[in-house]
Amino acid sequence: MIDIRNVSYSYPGVHALHDVTLHIEKGEAIALLGPNGSGKSTLLKLINGIISPDSGTYLFNNGEVTKKKLQDAAFTKLFHQKIGFVFQNADTQLFCADVYDEIAFGPRQMGMSEEEVDGRVHDCLELLHISDFKNRPPYHLSGGEKKKVAIACVLSMNPEILVLDEPMEGLDPRTQRWLVEFLVTLNKAGKTLITSTHNLELVQEISRRAVLFDENHGIAADLPTNELLMDIELLKKVNLIDEFYHRHEGNHHVHFHMHNF
Amino acid sequence: MAAAMIPVWIISVKKVKEELAKVKIPMLGIGAAFSFLIMMFNLPLPGGTTTHAVGGTLIAILIGPFSACISITVALLIQALLFGDGGILAFGANSFNMAFVLPFLGYYIYRFIKDRVHTEKGEYAGMAIGAYVGINMAALAAAIEFGLQPVLFHNAAGQPLYSPYPLSVAIPAMTLPHLLAAGVAEAIFTVAIYAFIRKVSPGTIYEGSKKKTKAIFGVIVALICLSPFGLIATGKAWGEWSTTEIQHVISNGKALGYVPGGMRSGFNFSTFLSDYALKGLPEFAGYILSAVAGAAILIILFKVIGGIVSDRSEKSRKRDAERENHG
Amino acid sequence: MVEWLLQDEHYVPQTDKDTFINKSILGFLRIVARIRTQGGHHAKSYQVNASIKVASTFLLILLLSLSGNPAFVVVVIVYILALLSLLRANEIIAILRVGLIVTLFTGIVLLPAILEGYESTSIMIIAKVFATVTAVNILSRTTRWHDITRALKRFFVPDIFILVLDIAIKYIVMLGDYTLHILYSLKLRSVGRNNRKYSSISGIAGTMFIKSREMSEEMYAAMECRGFTGAYTKYSRFGFSFVDFVYMIINVGLLCIFVYMGRK
Repeated sequence: MIDIRNVSYSYPGVHALHDVTLHIEKGEAIALLGPNGSGKSTLLKLINGIISPDSGTYLFNNGEVTKKKLQDAAFTKLFHQKIGFVFQNADTQLFCADVYDEIAFGPRQMGMSEEEVDGRVHDCLELLHISDFKNRPPYHLSGGEKKKVAIACVLSMNPEILVLDEPMEGLDPRTQRWLVEFLVTLNKAGKTLITSTHNLELVQEISRRAVLFDENHGIAADLPTNELLMDIELLKKVNLIDEFYHRHEGNHHVHFHMHNF
Repeated sequence: MAAAMIPVWIISVKKVKEELAKVKIPMLGIGAAFSFLIMMFNLPLPGGTTTHAVGGTLIAILIGPFSACISITVALLIQALLFGDGGILAFGANSFNMAFVLPFLGYYIYRFIKDRVHTEKGEYAGMAIGAYVGINMAALAAAIEFGLQPVLFHNAAGQPLYSPYPLSVAIPAMTLPHLLAAGVAEAIFTVAIYAFIRKVSPGTIYEGSKKKTKAIFGVIVALICLSPFGLIATGKAWGEWSTTEIQHVISNGKALGYVPGGMRSGFNFSTFLSDYALKGLPEFAGYILSAVAGAAILIILFKVIGGIVSDRSEKSRKRDAERENHG
Repeated sequence: MVEWLLQDEHYVPQTDKDTFINKSILGFLRIVARIRTQGGHHAKSYQVNASIKVASTFLLILLLSLSGNPAFVVVVIVYILALLSLLRANEIIAILRVGLIVTLFTGIVLLPAILEGYESTSIMIIAKVFATVTAVNILSRTTRWHDITRALKRFFVPDIFILVLDIAIKYIVMLGDYTLHILYSLKLRSVGRNNRKYSSISGIAGTMFIKSREMSEEMYAAMECRGFTGAYTKYSRFGFSFVDFVYMIINVGLLCIFVYMGRK
């Protein structure tokens, strides 16, 4: 489905991705791990067609995604319908005057009748438990509520692939828990899931496979999630954990240590 | 032109200091950033082409006309210095058109209509009309500033020394695109943004002083209409800036929306604003066409303007005389 | 879980013209990139004092505008080209690109005039335009913005105004970056025909305004906390070096040439 081969990318003067190769099948649940600045966000932008690789190829459903193709309106419209992207910062995702319009935006564009649109919007409102906010401006919601609206407005287009950039960031524990359950449900329903995160507690629940980025902007490992999380030396080497990290019986968590000074 | 702006700037600064002193400063700077960025938005036009808006009237309604004047001026200054597209020479004139005519005229027309038609629709209509008239007057002012050149400055043989384009060419070339497309886009953009902000976060909008809308309105309008005459009067000193005029067209045209702002790979000067790359002949042809159209329109325009101006300057002279007697 | 999420969408997009989104994105990208990379990275020893640069650029523009003598314009252009040659390749290319585009455009605007016989005037204007634009660009590309605003202070521009200028530049980047992301969001959700284009783009502009209001309140609070009372002093050391001296001599020289060649 998604086939990335030897892709490199630099922002002006700054390397972001170095010779990255990645293959993602339909229905997978995959996590991108790595410290800040390692290239996860850049790869996500690439997958969504916001940027094009400087070198290497990106194949989507066996068709190459090039800069030129991305300028073709027909191609991009279908492309963006199939891959939904939930930004890290929900503030920059929402631009409509109220939540209903925000969620209705995608379906309306797709040419559905107002009835169908209404159906979809209400389905999404219920799924994400935000029906109360139907007529509120997104600007006035809390962080977690905004995040739900952001997910809803992408979901309403029914993409095949859902890409989420640091979805747990800024959410309270209960909302995080809810989100984990929800993502699992979506994956079970057939959606391909690609998340980038540095939350090692929850990553095992939302992914079966993990891809680790290192500080050289390349891929250090591509393994089933639980295996990757057991390789403590590797995680330390790429600066994803510090020396106080340890595991208990197959589950990972971090302790707070107190030192006597 | 810069000379004409100085009193406006001084009054604005004073007003801003009065109204909200320290709190204003961040907003002025950020307002300038906002004003600068608004000009970067591409707005869709029927047919798939795009245009830009200045947003001067919108900003005046959102943060008050005097603050808007300062913010837009700063934005123009940054554009001129940073992007080096010639705006520096026409800075005075650009400021006059876009930081003065556009926000003040637009704002006071909006207030005028809003205070009389007490419905929401009336308010939006006032805004739309204000923005539309504002931008067209700004374009007209630019055209007049540009087109008066050959009238004022020619050598013994009658050849223009500086800008060779008379009003008959300048006016239609600059005002047509605005009347037909950019002006409409500006009006729609203004109303739509205001409506959005109103709905989402109404507290952020400038309240506006409830008093004395009439008198100021009159003064402003008089000032604007007198400006062409002021131009002739100060003509000599100002006219030396020949390159100003050309730069004026380019940077003004750019900021006023029929040329994309910033560094682009293509400019356009067609009467129906579109963003295609430089193509010598079509532009030229469009230009000739507008000149021909202009000849006919010119007669009408001159008559109309002549009528209004002599009326208004009569009224304002009377008003000034009255004020002197009473004040 | 709802029915439609369990199935794939069989969607065939309609065509729609939404180039305005891409163009807006490009515009914002350029601005933010331009400001971020602005300012000289030259070796300290070749840096000319900012105030002098600002003053000389304005002087140059003034003289150019006033001059009626083509020879003087030529002299100035030569001088500017000499200055240009001292810069780095990528800067030269960027500056020349803007200069030539603007000049070309000026030429096109003046084409009818040239054809009607006003060649000498037109060519003069075109030459002056090129010189002015290039001079301003050299200034803006080799000087950090904050040095330019600091230089303005020396020329009796009020404090408050300079503060506003500095804030403006900073927030163009911040606000621009913020808005850029919303534009991306719009682009990614443009999957079909949008019948409310103005609604979308003005939603973004409106959000930008509200955000700018928030930012200004935060900034005001920060200023208060640090005891801001309205005075904005910028400390500048007026270092005067040999390079500055040479620069000034050249400028004085230009002034003399100007006077010598007389004004027409």
